[in-house]
Amino acid sequence: MALSALGALALAVMPLPTAVDAFRPDFLVLVVFYWSIESPRAGGLALAFAAGLALDVIRGVVLGEHALAVTLMAAWATHLRLRLRVFSVLSQSLTIFALLTGYQFVLFWVDGATGNPVTTFSRWLAPIIGALIWPLLAGALSRLHDR
Amino acid sequence: MVAFRSTDTSGRTTGLLLRCILYSLLALGLIIVDKRYDHLGKIRRFLSVVAYPVQVAVASPFEGWDWFRESVSSRETLRADKAKLEAELRLANFRLQRYEALEAETQRLRALRENTAGVANRFIVGNIMDLDIDAFRERVLVDKGARDGVFVGQAVLDAGGVFGQVSRVEELTSEVILVSDAAHAIPVQINRNGLRTIAVGTGDMTRLKLPYLSTSADVVAGDLLVTSGLGGGFPAGYPVGTIAEVKRDPAQSLAEVEVRPAAALDRSREVMFVWLKTAEAQSTAAPGPSAASPSAPGPAAPSTSASPPQHPGTPKK
Repeated sequence: MALSALGALALAVMPLPTAVDAFRPDFLVLVVFYWSIESPRAGGLALAFAAGLALDVIRGVVLGEHALAVTLMAAWATHLRLRLRVFSVLSQSLTIFALLTGYQFVLFWVDGATGNPVTTFSRWLAPIIGALIWPLLAGALSRLHDR
Repeated sequence: MVAFRSTDTSGRTTGLLLRCILYSLLALGLIIVDKRYDHLGKIRRFLSVVAYPVQVAVASPFEGWDWFRESVSSRETLRADKAKLEAELRLANFRLQRYEALEAETQRLRALRENTAGVANRFIVGNIMDLDIDAFRERVLVDKGARDGVFVGQAVLDAGGVFGQVSRVEELTSEVILVSDAAHAIPVQINRNGLRTIAVGTGDMTRLKLPYLSTSADVVAGDLLVTSGLGGGFPAGYPVGTIAEVKRDPAQSLAEVEVRPAAALDRSREVMFVWLKTAEAQSTAAPGPSAASPSAPGPAAPSTSASPPQHPGTPKK
């Protein structure tokens, strides 16, 4: 679990060409969602909070911003987890899309409230990409978990 | 369906709501404390030292690949590179001779006017770490930090011109906000006529804009923009960019002016942190600033004394 989170953290800061950069999904958030759904007792909200804090430090934004967003959405994912597990891939992806949009919205709100808003539309692309790669990521993670 | 193999199917996670509220309040508290007060600096520094290995680990394969490619490049390539660099160095030395004379003269004139604004004193070079901090903000991480004396607000240059300024300092690294960031503004001056204004970033690495020039302002495409040194953050006289386009709409009171930045914002690997001379250091150093440049004694051609170094600007209309 910690390994997958670290890997996702690395993916989150890995250099990409600027053209592709806006399309980078929030890997770390997706991994947190996976663990919230798969076994909420293993990491739980503490994992979500720690992951968010790591993002805050690395991105250099106000401390607690990502922590708040990830915690709230991970709690929601945990709440939905029994239903999510029996959903079809499409419904799962749609739910993940909603969660990621909520995540971006919290970030958007905190950005605005702390006085440095990011108003480009490209930030709303990340939830779409995230929802699209969710089946792949969740599949890969559950393979690794089975080992 | 994605296979979740968990056996943890108990209907409730005990106290999920409670824990959610608890962590959220903690995060909100952090946000407020971090925003309002400056007490979290130490915590942040500690956390960033913890994060440093991750950052290095991610950046190193890419830097390693560059190193590998360089080390296996052929003899011919190296020879060609060397010839090119020597030619460039020769050219730069020619230019430098003139520059040293000019600088000495400028120093003397400044000393006469007791104007110490923005004379660069000391430089250190930092390497940009190969990391994407944030897709929506123009920031880079550089491998020099508080330990090297870097401070927030410090001017950062690259080989072409003004690169940005330090927006955050950690123990081992610092974050630099580029001149092209939408939240960045820099006091500038048009080199041709001394017109002062402010250049604001656009969020696009290839463009800056001058939003505060009236439609009647004397500015044409091709003008060189240099730092004015006002405000004290940046050294004076360093190139910021060239005017790319001027749009004048008679119905508007302000012109739309677009600037191409002089620094290679998207290509630089190395940047320089600049320390400005303080007033006292300046006055003591003023009598003999040219001591370090014995190769260029005496004033340069008198006509060059009033205007800063050459500029590609078109002549006045």
